Amino acid sequence: MPDPLIQLSGLAKSFAGVAALRDVDLTVQVGEILGLVGENGAGKSTLIKLLSGVESPDAGTIRLGGRVVALTSPREALAAGIAAVQQELDCFPHLAVAENLMLGERWPRRPWGGVDWPALHAEAGRRLTQFGVAIETHRMVEELTAAEKQEVMIAGAVARRARLLILDEPTASLSEPEVRRLFSHLRRLREQGVAILYVSHRLDEIFELTDRIAVLRDGALIGVHRTGEIDAVRLVHEMVGRPLEQVYPHARGGHLGPPLLELEGISHRGLFHDVSLAVRAGEIVGLAGLVGAGRSELARAIYGLYGVERGMMRVDGKNWRPARSRDALRAGVVYIPEERKRQGFVLDHPLEAGISIGFSDQLTRWGMIRGRREWARVREAIERYAIRATALSQPVATLSGGNQQKALLARWLEREPRVVILDEPTRGVDVAAKAQIHGLIDQLAARGKAILFISSDLGEIVGMSDRILVMNRGTVETELRGPEMTSHNVILAASGLYSREAARGTEPGPELRPS
Amino acid sequence: MSASGGLLRSFWLRLPKSVRRRIVFLVAGDAVLLGFIWWKAAQSRASFADEVGRMAPNVAPSILAALGQTGIICCGAMDLSVGSILGVAGTVFGVLHARGVGPGGCFAACFVTAFGLSAYNGWLIRLLRIPAIIVTLAGLAFYRGLALILAEVASHGFGQQFTLTGDAYHRPGELYAGWILLAALVLALWGECFAKTPRMWLALGNSEAACRLSGLEPARILFGAFLVGGIFLGLSAVLDVTNHITIEPARLGAGFELSVIAANVLGGTSIFGGQGSAAGTALGGLFLYLLGPAMLYAGVDEYWRTAVQGAAILAVIGIDCALGRRRKLMEELR
Repeated sequence: MPDPLIQLSGLAKSFAGVAALRDVDLTVQVGEILGLVGENGAGKSTLIKLLSGVESPDAGTIRLGGRVVALTSPREALAAGIAAVQQELDCFPHLAVAENLMLGERWPRRPWGGVDWPALHAEAGRRLTQFGVAIETHRMVEELTAAEKQEVMIAGAVARRARLLILDEPTASLSEPEVRRLFSHLRRLREQGVAILYVSHRLDEIFELTDRIAVLRDGALIGVHRTGEIDAVRLVHEMVGRPLEQVYPHARGGHLGPPLLELEGISHRGLFHDVSLAVRAGEIVGLAGLVGAGRSELARAIYGLYGVERGMMRVDGKNWRPARSRDALRAGVVYIPEERKRQGFVLDHPLEAGISIGFSDQLTRWGMIRGRREWARVREAIERYAIRATALSQPVATLSGGNQQKALLARWLEREPRVVILDEPTRGVDVAAKAQIHGLIDQLAARGKAILFISSDLGEIVGMSDRILVMNRGTVETELRGPEMTSHNVILAASGLYSREAARGTEPGPELRPS
Repeated sequence: MSASGGLLRSFWLRLPKSVRRRIVFLVAGDAVLLGFIWWKAAQSRASFADEVGRMAPNVAPSILAALGQTGIICCGAMDLSVGSILGVAGTVFGVLHARGVGPGGCFAACFVTAFGLSAYNGWLIRLLRIPAIIVTLAGLAFYRGLALILAEVASHGFGQQFTLTGDAYHRPGELYAGWILLAALVLALWGECFAKTPRMWLALGNSEAACRLSGLEPARILFGAFLVGGIFLGLSAVLDVTNHITIEPARLGAGFELSVIAANVLGGTSIFGGQGSAAGTALGGLFLYLLGPAMLYAGVDEYWRTAVQGAAILAVIGIDCALGRRRKLMEELR
């Protein structure tokens, strides 16, 4: 085997005492596409940050072409030939294509000092042509499609003599033909001797494109396989891996009420299309899928934050056309957003206000909040939802993540809604709080609420849901019920690889949901 | 490609649509105000040329400072202390004048003071890694105090103000304000068309993270914007002091930062950075200024003028944005 281009040994990194990456040994060969897979939180993005110089490792070394390098800034990583193309956020929308391409470099000048624009655009055009795309270099980057932006960024990286190209979820916002184009670019780069680290949740793409696959789980490298020598089921097994004996609550009986939330073929261009589903009273329906599959967008549309262009929605049997989020509150639809820090809370506010704002309209008389009543209701809620706080006046920011999330739940659930949409309710929450939140969700269902439960945590979604709907590329493609509900099947379905016939042949995974 | 095509491309077509629309809008607005003033001047048999000539020393300081601020705002930052810096520069001018320093020395010291404090702002931001708006908010108070201390310490028997006697201290403003403004504007536009640095500012305003990933140094780029801004602020200070018979350290330039930022906002510079143009800023500053004489001719009561000015800013931006939104909606529907 030739000398590897990049050799990582004993690489480790922790954030605030939590190990994000531990003792990773990995090599990338010249002219190879190495796939990197793992669940959310497995350490993929940390690895990317270390390689692209955004963060420095706590321990371990990175060898590039045999020499140890210290990548302390993106600038040094670029100089060493490592370029990370991340999301489309990382370009400059109000600059022209040529300017974006050439930003970190010397620009051609005229004798009198001004930038030689024709030369700059010619050079940028040459780079794009060499890469195999034809994009007008005078266009503003904001006018480009996501695919074109990506092509510009990859072309830029290649022109800077990148020897290792890191792509993080590059196909998240690409259409199928655009994915084909990207792949043909990447294969050509491989032939030219560029090494590519391809990070993706989409296993179908990983299998199609890569030469080898590295699996990360909980910050550790679990294994590296030649792509031809492993199949999807085994790969998923390595990704999920854990002996999942966690017990999920199941207080509710099998009795389901009438459907409270019904969607019939609703679409919003570019976000989701032809989604039909129903959630009945007392039922928890899991909504799984990859980032970008349209789950949160769908949830927000039900809540009324995005319009629905086609299709019908019904809440409690009545036609549902929300214009404002206030309508949703009145109709008893509650949406608890994914990013609680940004969309959920005013972090500096006291806990009391943070909770009571959800039902402040029920507390007021002639526009004034009745303090004693607020106090009593909040006390009650804090007890009911087991929120651990030193005082009602404690700022929300000083609560732990799990208690923040419980407070957020308390705020909205105190309204006694009928339909509850939970978007990643346990992300960034510790194990104990997670279990409590699971208990709350279960109780809610037992009290006859209809619950749409979005989560990327496979164990959780499998354990909590009565049924799982899996979204892929903007629509619900698969419904998993009963014994079909396993982490394996959810991952396969999210990549569009699940088929019932194939599933029937394999034995059920080790983590059949508890009944 | 023809030369004019190149210029069109490097200047006009490069601008974001919203900025282009705002520029067209402001050209029309400025033309309307100028037309109105010309019409009224003709009625009252005053000379329109005199009227315009008188404008230059009055309008130049705020437009110059606004041009300097454009670069800083494009970076996604803001300098709130320009008014107080003007106060310090004016005080230095007054102190030196009181001590009998000749006009050349006074003007040079005034320029250097304004430039130096602006550069100091940039340096401090880079050193402390604190957002510019906070550093310069502190500067807003600090530099005002500095002006007062300076006046107190440097001149014995300092009253509330310095009185500037001698024609030589006023002539430059009257004679050259228009030309200096024109030259500075040409320089700014030239830079926008042909220099790399302004593109760096826009890039920084677009995305700091992306800048870093491209191997650029955000703090250094912002520092550059403050240095260039300092040059314009220095010119602004020099022209501003020539307008005054008396210099009051406590009041000179008070509220100046607001009109500077207003000119930028009106000119289509995004307050969050990432887009903007010197042309828009100059037109916006002119519009703000022209409202004054126009209201004077229209006989608007003095007490109402400030309020009308505020309403005009809101109206221009409101109408422009409403038009923009409608157009965008049409594009989406098509």
